[in-house]
Amino acid sequence: MEPRSRSFYILSAFFGLFVLFLYGPTLTIGILSFQGEGGGLTFPMRGVSLYWFYDLFEQQAVGDIWGSFRRSIVLGLMVMVTTVVVSVTGGLAFRKKFLGSGILFYLIITALVIPSILVSLGVGLLFSQSGLNVHWSTSGFGAQLTWTLPFGLLIMFAVFNRFDKSYEEAARDLGASPWQTIRYVVLPIIAPSLIGVALFGFTLSYDEFARTLLTAGSYNTLPLEIYGMTTNVTSPVLYALGTLTTLFSLLIIGAFLTLALLSNRRKARAGSDAGRAV
Amino acid sequence: MKKLLENRNLSGWLMVSPLAIVLLVFLLMPIILIVIVSFWRATEFSIIPAFEFDNYEFLFGSSVTYKVFFNTFKYALITWACTLVIGFTVAYYLAFHIRSLTWQVALFLVCTIPFLTSNIIRMISWIPFLGRNGIANSTLMSWGVIDEPLEWLLFSDFSVILAFVHLYTLFMVVPIFNTMMRIDKSLIEAARDAGANGAQILWNVVIPLTKPGIMIGTIFVVTLVMGDFITVRFMSGSQSANVGRLISNDIALLQYPSASATAIVLLATVLITIGILLRFVDIRKEL
Amino acid sequence: MTKFTSRAGLSRRTLLKGAASTAITAGATSLGAPMLWAQNIKDITIRQFGTGVSNLNEVATQVKEDLGFTLEMTALDTDSVTQRAATQPNSFDIADIEYFICKKVWAAGNLQAMDTSKLANYDKIVGIFRDGKLTPESKIAQGTAPHTVGFTSGQNGTDFVQEESGWMTLIPTIYNADTLGIRPDLIGRPINNWSELLNPEFKGKASILDISSIGIMDMAMVVESMGEYTYPDKGNMTKEEIDMTIGIFTEAKNNGQFRAFWKSFDESVNLMASGEVVIQSMWSPAITAVKSQGIPCVYQPLEEGYRSWGGGLGISAALSGIELDAAYEYINWYLSGWVGGFLMRQGYYSAVPETSKAFMSENEWGFWFEGKEATGDIASPFGDKLAGAGEVRDGGSFNDRMGAVACWNSVMDENQYMVRKWNEFIAA
Repeated sequence: MEPRSRSFYILSAFFGLFVLFLYGPTLTIGILSFQGEGGGLTFPMRGVSLYWFYDLFEQQAVGDIWGSFRRSIVLGLMVMVTTVVVSVTGGLAFRKKFLGSGILFYLIITALVIPSILVSLGVGLLFSQSGLNVHWSTSGFGAQLTWTLPFGLLIMFAVFNRFDKSYEEAARDLGASPWQTIRYVVLPIIAPSLIGVALFGFTLSYDEFARTLLTAGSYNTLPLEIYGMTTNVTSPVLYALGTLTTLFSLLIIGAFLTLALLSNRRKARAGSDAGRAV
Repeated sequence: MKKLLENRNLSGWLMVSPLAIVLLVFLLMPIILIVIVSFWRATEFSIIPAFEFDNYEFLFGSSVTYKVFFNTFKYALITWACTLVIGFTVAYYLAFHIRSLTWQVALFLVCTIPFLTSNIIRMISWIPFLGRNGIANSTLMSWGVIDEPLEWLLFSDFSVILAFVHLYTLFMVVPIFNTMMRIDKSLIEAARDAGANGAQILWNVVIPLTKPGIMIGTIFVVTLVMGDFITVRFMSGSQSANVGRLISNDIALLQYPSASATAIVLLATVLITIGILLRFVDIRKEL
Repeated sequence: MTKFTSRAGLSRRTLLKGAASTAITAGATSLGAPMLWAQNIKDITIRQFGTGVSNLNEVATQVKEDLGFTLEMTALDTDSVTQRAATQPNSFDIADIEYFICKKVWAAGNLQAMDTSKLANYDKIVGIFRDGKLTPESKIAQGTAPHTVGFTSGQNGTDFVQEESGWMTLIPTIYNADTLGIRPDLIGRPINNWSELLNPEFKGKASILDISSIGIMDMAMVVESMGEYTYPDKGNMTKEEIDMTIGIFTEAKNNGQFRAFWKSFDESVNLMASGEVVIQSMWSPAITAVKSQGIPCVYQPLEEGYRSWGGGLGISAALSGIELDAAYEYINWYLSGWVGGFLMRQGYYSAVPETSKAFMSENEWGFWFEGKEATGDIASPFGDKLAGAGEVRDGGSFNDRMGAVACWNSVMDENQYMVRKWNEFIAA
């Protein structure tokens, strides 16, 4: 192995600083969430305690953290499933040119770049003008999809760009119907990327603020609740919540990664089995 | 039936219909409605169908509007430059200096973890750090670097851009890293064999090949910054404004028609900017 | 209904306040159909929204205990509250809003008028909310005074009438007088006028709130105090007056006078507690909150007087039947003292102070309402110590404070124009 050049060390130092910069606030939050009972949102610490974590599970003076947390999870899962299904069908469809595919593509790009407050405003107006009630599971759900779907689709486009079509041709040659080809050939191959799409869908939804702002109705999702808390709560309970949500997201990521690893391993095993069979 | 299925338009549309419906109902119709409402009139509590250019007249007639649009571009441009430099360097380091895939993935994940804490919480945690009596100022003062606290650290353009860079650099790192990973390493070898030094390789080989990634990252960062309203509010202490904030203020004050007019102008600005950027890159091919 | 009386019976002062509890019982029974009520009560959920000031979960807990039904609370910032009251009539049963918001949204028809004959404590509501006068000889302050938007012509009225018509738009619950809050340790000299907010001495250390209907009144107080202009009516400015007022502040903003603007209670607390800001227009309980962190902060009475605000409960127009009965029941309960005491111990005033007295100790009542020296520790309902023996409330007694109100938070005839100018000011 050739020796590391000087630029490697400079860049390593740069990377280290970057990571420090990224983690600065997270660490500040992490430390301040152990603030002593009498402490406030800022340094200095007044002792170290788990008080605010306990407090998080007590009823707060205002709001309903756990209710909003539940809603965010449910909404995240709804968005996740929809994003995966729609992205896959959309990705498959976009492999061939069809009438209007160009326009639809530009719509996807528009959805990606449109300022989020416009979606919030527009969907809110649409519901109020047509006499419907905004609710996180209807208007909020739809507004979030305009953000997660473009991401999912772009990932699917990337996947299908690299997709080796000879697998499908082989399947077709062996007499598989189009549905069978998709079910038994295409889907298993793209499965690991679907985990990525799902992960993206869930986390984008789980953390989305602006698009749900005017579309969530009476019940807050977690980011809205946190936003509400910044205007109504002055205790480190906010930081305790931040720390816990980070840990929770880590768990989710961990779960998805394990899933990906397992499916890779299974595929690897299946692959080697196939090899033996030959 | 079979023939029908083979009709590629029909099968295409069948598969794409859920997507099309979502985009129609939650993207296209809202945009159209915003356009319509931007010509309406508002009262204290409701909006009244009308067709008048009042909202646009007020918007274009106010010097504040131009200042705010200028601010929006200023934030976008500075943030873009910072995220590009940082994002490119980080991606370059990960792609070319880290040699094992496991480490690449591991370091990459390290970069993504902070993004899992709620945006808003991460943003406001800068406040105790940068404030007049915050960590940054008290550290600098204890080192003797400064005698008076630096006022411009918080509630200034500096803090706004710092927060933007913090929030959005990853959106630059990911696409650049993605394109860099696809650069054929033998090209770099070839350049080196041909006698190019590190800087020349970087400038003549790596950067041109990374352009699509840079463009995609640029699109993300520019649109996110131009559409933002909450970062500017928190980090400038409401002392500065961008267009998004103008819109959200209007919404908060129930001035939907005026908010819509501003939103339409913003949307047009963003779409034109992105349209220009897209001339430099074919997104679909480069993914 | 027995539940309700027995609850009152547990009160320490029942013997003294016998008359009050009888009135509560009478009011409650007059709602009728108690049998049906008792059977269905547990299934009822009343959705209330409002600002974090009064939408506290303790109230919901107490409602469950005293009345048996579920009260769902949503706390939002002032602008979101206005928005929801105006645009999402189906998302709430009870709106806990300020009077100036009521002026904006009442005509939308999302709220229904309330029959004062169904309110047991109507006669005990302070004059401010009825004829506008605290005492028979007091002068009515400028701006959107609660009584000017407190009554309507009938159950389905969308107008405002200027006499006690028997139909209330909002049932008054909470109000206070606001002024400048200062950090005496960082200022080091007496502050006596609103004009100090724009004093260059505090460049980069002042703040004002970014809620147009409230902020414009603070501005007007400052402009008058500076001697720049005397408004014929601050509460109803002309376009020129609006331009002039906001112009003065825009100039100050561009000169770097302000450190930040705040939009919610807690932002103001954080700005003050962290020392970012040393002088700002502030809400009384926010000052209490700063103090409870051990930081010196004074709610500074000023020569020109206070800017006041009031809030109340409105019933959604969609509410009917047993749920409407429950809403009345809740409102009667709200005025019967427990909530009043709970709010007064945070530094607000109750619309029916008499009934709240029963839910406060002698010391608390003396400190918060009568402006007397505390005889022992004064604690907030959440247990934080706010003052010790010998301390006196800033600004003095109820009559001293509410008697010196110079203006109310306002919605003007030119509100539409003002709002646009305000938006420019914030963006300038």
